[in-house]
Amino acid sequence: MSIQNLNTRDPFADAIKGNDDDIQDGLVHIRIQQRNGRKTLTTVQGLSAEYDLKKIVRSCKKEFACNGTVIEHPEYGEVLQLQGDQRENICQWLTKVGLAKPDQLKVHGF
Amino acid sequence: MEGEDGFDPTLLKKKKKKKTTFDLDAALGLDDAGKKEDPKDEASAVSTAAEVDDNLDLESFGKKKKKKKKPFNLDELEGALPDGADDATAAAAEDPEEEEINLDMDFTMAKKKKKSKKKDLDELFADKVDDDKSEDKENVEDNSSSWAGSDRDYTYDELLKRVFEIILDKNPDMAAGRKPKFVMRPPQVLRVGTKKTSFANFMDIAKTLHRLPKHLLDFLLAELGTSGSMDGNQQLIIKGRFQPKQIENVLRRYIKEYVTCHTCRSPETILQKDTRLFFLQCESCGSRCSVASIKSGFQAVTGKRAAIRAKTT
Repeated sequence: MSIQNLNTRDPFADAIKGNDDDIQDGLVHIRIQQRNGRKTLTTVQGLSAEYDLKKIVRSCKKEFACNGTVIEHPEYGEVLQLQGDQRENICQWLTKVGLAKPDQLKVHGF
Repeated sequence: MEGEDGFDPTLLKKKKKKKTTFDLDAALGLDDAGKKEDPKDEASAVSTAAEVDDNLDLESFGKKKKKKKKPFNLDELEGALPDGADDATAAAAEDPEEEEINLDMDFTMAKKKKKSKKKDLDELFADKVDDDKSEDKENVEDNSSSWAGSDRDYTYDELLKRVFEIILDKNPDMAAGRKPKFVMRPPQVLRVGTKKTSFANFMDIAKTLHRLPKHLLDFLLAELGTSGSMDGNQQLIIKGRFQPKQIENVLRRYIKEYVTCHTCRSPETILQKDTRLFFLQCESCGSRCSVASIKSGFQAVTGKRAAIRAKTT
C-alpha cells in the first residue's frame, strides 16, 4: 500500500479531464424579441461551437413544436433562433440534455 | 393585459408540475419577489450553486436553522410559519400534497406582491426575520440544555446557530438594516399608439436609483431587445408593447446587478467607469467590484428585410 501523500500527482490531470466531461465554458444567453402582434422570437447565443447546432435545433423544433433555425453571425458565432417564447422550454431542455448548467443560462428580456 | 403577460402564468404552472429537478428560477435570474421564495424549497431538493447568490444571507441562515429544527417538532413549525418559509420544510418532508398546497399559497402571495413593489418584499423579510427570531428562542433552550450538562463536542451547526443568535442579540437592528431600502415608485408604463410604449417616470426612477439615465436606458433597451429614445418631456419611448410588470422585472434585474452592492446589498453605491469597465463602489461597506457590461448581443431580424436592404444600399 502506498502512502497517499507521497504519490506524484499530475497537477494538470484535472484540467485535462475537466475539459471534455464539462459542458460549456461561457454563459448561454437566452433572449426574446418581439415581432409584430403578439409574436415573439427566442434566440440562444453562446452555445459552444463544438456541438452540431443543426442537430440541436432539429430536436428543439420537435420538442417545442416550433420552427427554428441556426444563424451564422460574424461576431457571436452560431445562434439558435426559435419561434415563439421558448425561454423556459429551452432552459429546461438544455439542462435536461446536459448542454449547460442552470447557472450558465442567462435569460434576458422581460 | 391577458395577451401580453401570457408568460408568467404558464411559467408558474409549469413549475408546479416539475419543480424538483430543474431550477428555473436560478436560470431566470429570480426576477420577481414571488419567485424569490421558491428556490429555497428547490434548493432543499437540489443544491444548486446559483441559488446561493440570490437569496439574502439572512434567509439562508434562517433556512439552516429551520432545517435543523424540523426533526423535533415539524408540526409546530408548519403552524408557526404561515408564509413561504414553510415550503422549505414541506419539501424536505417529502409530502407531495402538502407541497402542493404550500405552493399554491406561495403563488397567491407572488401575485399579491407583484402589485406593490419592493415594499412587500421588505415586509416579508421582516416577517421571516421575526419568525427566525422566535424560533431561535426555542432553539436556544434546546441547545443549551443539550450542551450544558455533557462535555460532548458541539456540532458545527450548533455553533453556527449560536453565533448568529449572539449576533442578532447584540445588534438587533442588523436584521432590519439588511433589508434593501428601496421604496420605489412603480414604473408608469403606457401605450403610445399600438406599437410603442411610453415609460413616463423613467427620469424619476433613474434619479432615485442614482444612476445616469443613459446607463439605465442602455440596459433597458439591451434587455428588452428593442430600440427607443427619450422624447421631449423626458419620457422614454420604447418600441414594442410592454406591460408595467415586465418593465418592473427588468428594473428589478437592473437594481440587482447595478445598484445593490454585491457584498452587503446596500443600495448606497456609486457606479464609476474605469478603463472601459464599470465598477460598483459601495458607500457603506467600501467594497468595489466590476459589473457586467451592457451588451445587447445577437439581434435577430424582425423587421422587413426589404427595408433593411433598401437602407444599406
